[in-house]
Amino acid sequence: MTATSKADGPILVVGEVTKRFGGLRAVDRASFAVARGSITALIGPNGAGKTTLLDLVSGYDRPDKGAVHFEGRRIDGLASHRIARRGVVRTFQLTRVFAAMSVRDNMMLGAQRQAGEHLHRLVFSRAAVQRTEDTVHERAERLMRAFALDAKASEYAGALSGGQRKLLEFARALMAEPRLVLLDEPMAGVNRALGAKLLDEVERLRREEGMTFLFIEHDIDIVMQRADQVVVMAEGRVVAEGPPDFIRRDQRVVDAYLGRRGNAA
Amino acid sequence: MSVFDLDFWVGAGVIAGIYGIFALGLQLNIGFTGIMNLGQAGFMCVGAYTMGILVVDAGWPLALAFAAAIIVAVAAGVLVGLPSLRLRADYFGIVTIAFSEIVRYVFQNAAFAGGNQGVIGYDAEWRAFQAWASQRLATIGLGEATQMPLLIAVWAALLLCLVVLQALQVSPWGRVLKAIREDEDAAAALGKNVFAFKLQSLGIAAALATIAGFFLAMNVTYLYPSEFDPSFTFFGYAVLILGGFASYGAVVVGAVLLCTLTEGLRFLDLPLSAGQAGSLRFIIVGLVLIGLSMFRPQGLLGSDAEMQLRA
Repeated sequence: MTATSKADGPILVVGEVTKRFGGLRAVDRASFAVARGSITALIGPNGAGKTTLLDLVSGYDRPDKGAVHFEGRRIDGLASHRIARRGVVRTFQLTRVFAAMSVRDNMMLGAQRQAGEHLHRLVFSRAAVQRTEDTVHERAERLMRAFALDAKASEYAGALSGGQRKLLEFARALMAEPRLVLLDEPMAGVNRALGAKLLDEVERLRREEGMTFLFIEHDIDIVMQRADQVVVMAEGRVVAEGPPDFIRRDQRVVDAYLGRRGNAA
Repeated sequence: MSVFDLDFWVGAGVIAGIYGIFALGLQLNIGFTGIMNLGQAGFMCVGAYTMGILVVDAGWPLALAFAAAIIVAVAAGVLVGLPSLRLRADYFGIVTIAFSEIVRYVFQNAAFAGGNQGVIGYDAEWRAFQAWASQRLATIGLGEATQMPLLIAVWAALLLCLVVLQALQVSPWGRVLKAIREDEDAAAALGKNVFAFKLQSLGIAAALATIAGFFLAMNVTYLYPSEFDPSFTFFGYAVLILGGFASYGAVVVGAVLLCTLTEGLRFLDLPLSAGQAGSLRFIIVGLVLIGLSMFRPQGLLGSDAEMQLRA
């Protein structure tokens, strides 16, 4: 954790959040905090409610009960674009690139507060529109180089390989200059070398820009190596929370992954 | 009537121009924003009637009435969009077609809109302009066809709209629309107010419908409700299918093709009654559309790559 984390308190606080789908409690009174500047992993068996929780934090769904606070302000119930504007940007489990747009346009779209997105400014402040567009373009080119996407800049995003799409989605999220990035299985379908590159970038951004990351991951080795905090969910509940070494030895985590019968045997 | 009748083809060109402006709005909605506006004829109806009523009953100058008509039609677009744009694409389409029919039936039955008699007598200023323009055109040898000034005006308006829309489409604003068409959840995750952009797209389409409605009104000399039948919207979609999606140039090509086809088929000399011949024209148009969707589904100018990427 960075030095600022203690002074500023947690960047994200999930408090007693519940979400029901019919009779199923997908998320059941889940509570945890994400420290500012941390790389926090959200783990748990299939159906534990991890993606639903990410949906609740990013505004894709509203909790039935409980509250989500980002930087001290309540964000649950806000529209997803408003949450994104506050600095929380997510990626999706099944990559969502704008297929029939160029890689460059995908990237440039990610930038926030663009003058050229307002009709009246397109007419009345052309100079400001051009200025932001130049800045956005420059940042897009820089990030595309960092993620080795620059050779594909003019191609349709739909023509990229699965791994390249993951990189594009991640790079595009960074265009928004978020303070908290939510990654839903960033490593799924990405080869090891590319995945390592992506995680190196995560660590660099945390170190150099103070970004916070909350990511869902199934590969326990990766979680143990890269995360500095781990939140474990099972059947909608948060069953454990702490540093990787602590989690590794926690009996509740072993139960959650192996099942109670496994424990009894 | 000869195939080389100038008045006839000038008239066909006017209709093509009107369909072109009308379908530019549909292209903005379905081709670039991914919203299925099936109520474009309704917006055109609101615009044209507003203009006609303001001139005839309130005595407004034509230009001012036209400007007011655009504002009213855009407001109608926003009003229709507010409750319905959050719906899924197909349900939104149903709401817009319902709106279109409600408007038509209201104007058909409301006293202020002249009922089935419609609105007449709003085009004196235009006639005066047309007479003046015809004289000027005669000096350069273009005075023969009476509708020539209208043809020039409608195509000038079409090209102007096209240039403006094209400029919007390559702007950051147009980039957001395209992203919404591709995946609106992902666009929202990047901080874009999807709903507001859809509303703007629909409002601009309603404005374009009003411009088309203005020229339609000048072309037919009086307004009556059945001119604004939903089939007008469907012909607009036929323009898009012929020309291709996600391209404004394709709208122009599609409009010219559709009108050449529907009007040109009038020259078919068959031993049929007028009604039968009319029906046969539309059967042929339908067959052409089916053939096109089979052999060139992206339309004549549409991008094959974009279609496949989204499939």
